[in-house]
Amino acid sequence: MPDQQSDKTPFGAQEVAAAKGLTAGTATAPETTAARSLWTDAWHDLRRNPVFIVSALLILFLVVISLWPGLIASRDPQRCQLGRSLEGPSAGHWFGFDTQGCDVYTRTVYGARASITVGLCATLGVAVLGAVVGGLAGFIGGFWDTLLSRLTDVFFGIPLVLGAIVFLSMITLTGIWPVVLVIAALSWPQIARISRGSVITAKQNDYVQAARALGASNSRMLLRHILPNAVAPVIVMATIMLGTFIALEATLSYLGVGLRPPTVSWGVDISAASDGMQFRNAPHILLYPAAALSLTVLAFIMLGDAVRDALDPKLR
Amino acid sequence: MRRSIRLTSAVAGLTVIVAAATACGGGDDSGGGGGGGMIRASWGDPQHPLEPANTNEVQGGKVLDMIFRGLKRYDPETGEAKDEMAESIETDDQQNFTVTIEDGWTFSDGTPVTAASYVDAWNYGAHIENAQVASYFFQFIDGYDEVHPAEEDAEATADTLSGLRVLDDHTFTVRLSEPFSLWPETLGYAAYAPLPRAFFDDHDAWLAKPIGNGPYEIESYQRSQSMTLVRYEGFKGKDAAQNDGVELRVYTDNNTAYTDLQAGNLDLIDDVPASQLQNAQNDLGDRYINQPAGIIQTVSFPLYEDAWEGEDGAALRRGLSMAINREEITSRIFHDTRTPASDFTSPVLGDAGGYEEGLCGEACTYDPDRAKQLIEEAGGLPDGRITLTSNVDTGSHRQWMDAVCNSINNALDDTGACTVNPVPTFADFRNQVTGREMTGMFRTGWQMDYPLIQNFLQPLYYTDASSNDSVYRSEEFDRLVDEANSEADEAEAVNTFREAERVLVEDLPAIPLWYQNGTAGHSERLENVKLNPFSVPVFTEIKVS
Repeated sequence: MPDQQSDKTPFGAQEVAAAKGLTAGTATAPETTAARSLWTDAWHDLRRNPVFIVSALLILFLVVISLWPGLIASRDPQRCQLGRSLEGPSAGHWFGFDTQGCDVYTRTVYGARASITVGLCATLGVAVLGAVVGGLAGFIGGFWDTLLSRLTDVFFGIPLVLGAIVFLSMITLTGIWPVVLVIAALSWPQIARISRGSVITAKQNDYVQAARALGASNSRMLLRHILPNAVAPVIVMATIMLGTFIALEATLSYLGVGLRPPTVSWGVDISAASDGMQFRNAPHILLYPAAALSLTVLAFIMLGDAVRDALDPKLR
Repeated sequence: MRRSIRLTSAVAGLTVIVAAATACGGGDDSGGGGGGGMIRASWGDPQHPLEPANTNEVQGGKVLDMIFRGLKRYDPETGEAKDEMAESIETDDQQNFTVTIEDGWTFSDGTPVTAASYVDAWNYGAHIENAQVASYFFQFIDGYDEVHPAEEDAEATADTLSGLRVLDDHTFTVRLSEPFSLWPETLGYAAYAPLPRAFFDDHDAWLAKPIGNGPYEIESYQRSQSMTLVRYEGFKGKDAAQNDGVELRVYTDNNTAYTDLQAGNLDLIDDVPASQLQNAQNDLGDRYINQPAGIIQTVSFPLYEDAWEGEDGAALRRGLSMAINREEITSRIFHDTRTPASDFTSPVLGDAGGYEEGLCGEACTYDPDRAKQLIEEAGGLPDGRITLTSNVDTGSHRQWMDAVCNSINNALDDTGACTVNPVPTFADFRNQVTGREMTGMFRTGWQMDYPLIQNFLQPLYYTDASSNDSVYRSEEFDRLVDEANSEADEAEAVNTFREAERVLVEDLPAIPLWYQNGTAGHSERLENVKLNPFSVPVFTEIKVS
């Protein structure tokens, strides 16, 4: 017992000292830079966060190759030589070949476009729809709040994957847009709830009350005073959701209702690779697109975490 | 109509095997349950009650093949129809036949098999009220239209087929509605089996435990679980069982059956799961059987569309056919469980039966350069692109369709030329085909009803035939088929059918892709395991050690 105590004391002392140093450091900052907004403050933090730097670089890389996949893959993802079906990795074909004899590396690179596009567009849709519905409900209040909140609850009650399967198997359109629309239509309630909450919080702030007392119009109050102060949680939530949407796209494609060939996507390739127990004989055709998918989802979730840390001072 | 039934049955049959039925999957109650000379084999629940004319899929057919013997039997190796119960089947005009049956045969309940056993069974099978799925087998017999009118909701105007007449206990006559020289060769099919009085007197009891005249009799039958068959000691035929009996066990998942086989809990599976095909050769060695079955897969064209008409259309089809690398697809996608097709029939017919390797010639040989040249000379693909349509709910269709399109695209050096158009379900797909809604290539497959060249040609390509999905019309082809059907000499008839087949090679209303194989695996206890032309194990010849 005494041993433990003696161990603890210097430890605690060190921590306190470190904490003091830290507060001293941040306390001096405002002196050098004049009035910092929430955003510059957040940016200042992010730049120093290794998690942010790693995930941002990764995402930048993914965005670049989804715009210009030809930069790092010179072949055509649709050009397949069945004669090389299921061959393992070799020089010039680092990831080997899939069942149809297509180059797995090329397909993995080209698959980024579909996943990133679906992720970004669905997130944009969710953020806009959720923020508008939630924001209006929170701002107007009363009857409209009740109505919109119940509507949100209704959509919240639909299981995401189940709902997506039902809707997507009913429509005959192919391509990425049905998938984007279905994901957006089923995922917005989460954002709506968060933005409603933060709008209600912001509405009660003194400066909003002051603006109201000075006779500011509703739209001015909403756009100038409430929105900038309520949007942070939405951004945080949306960034984290982006990663899960990419995973959801792959899930739906795997189940055969999301993206369909000839669209090149990781979900499509994973689905094809797991067909007929190919894993036992040729694990590479499953591992590479799956790894790319995991890495991308991880990058977006890490980014979301870092952004949340930066934007939500309460958590620090 | 007929094609859809049959294809459904083919696909249903396959799915039944693939999804073969039930609970005893664990096989834990089995430990040596096979007993001395019993064969433990995998089985699936039959789709229909086990009436001979009401069975058109493999699982029910497997049992019928053990408990019934008809007038003819298809030789398990050559597919040739040999006399079984028939002493003679005589005709002068290919239309009126006199059938004499052997004396001394009995059903396993002890009652004798007589001419009436046949005539009653056939009348039962043909009658519309009995709703037998294979009743179309009796369509060649005079009077079929009266007992089984083709129009919907029509009622039968006769109780029995007017073309059948019993002369005495061992003789009956058959009058066909038109000459059909190869008709006796169709009689090996289970639908033509004789039925005992018990079938008509106490139908439910018969269904619970069917009685036949074959080499085995049913000892016990628990639906969805198992059936035990033992050797029928009173069997009169030439192919008496070489073992004590067979225990059929129902499996819902053929992967489980495969695992049980490897673990020694099962002796015989007659369908190796698709996911194990790649490993079966290694796992089972010479206990893995992979041989042609009577199924051919083809790609058909909508000849009713302008784009596919005339000489250019034919050249286009020939070019597309030559752009498909059949060898590579059968080996890579199907792991050699398909054989590249080079005619419109099936190897199970044998050379004497009308199969001719290489009959399709250049048109079915992969030659990408010539293919591209032909397609370009014909003015290119309609609008520069083509689709390949099929259902994708069964049988790895998606994979081979992708491979076929890739092969065409590589030959044309255009990755967007051919695209796959998947239709979710088989029923949807067949509706679109029979509704003549196709615009590009579409999948067609044919499982034979009996091992005759006629069955591979007439129902598929004769003008207005029931399964002529391409809507192909050729006066020359029709003339040759008619000629072959009224040919007295069997070899001549087969040759004339071959001539007709050569017309198809010129016109290519469909392009042959590959022959489907039957697969099986067995344990070390068994010897002499074979599959017959219908991919059903020849149980009687199996020896148990």
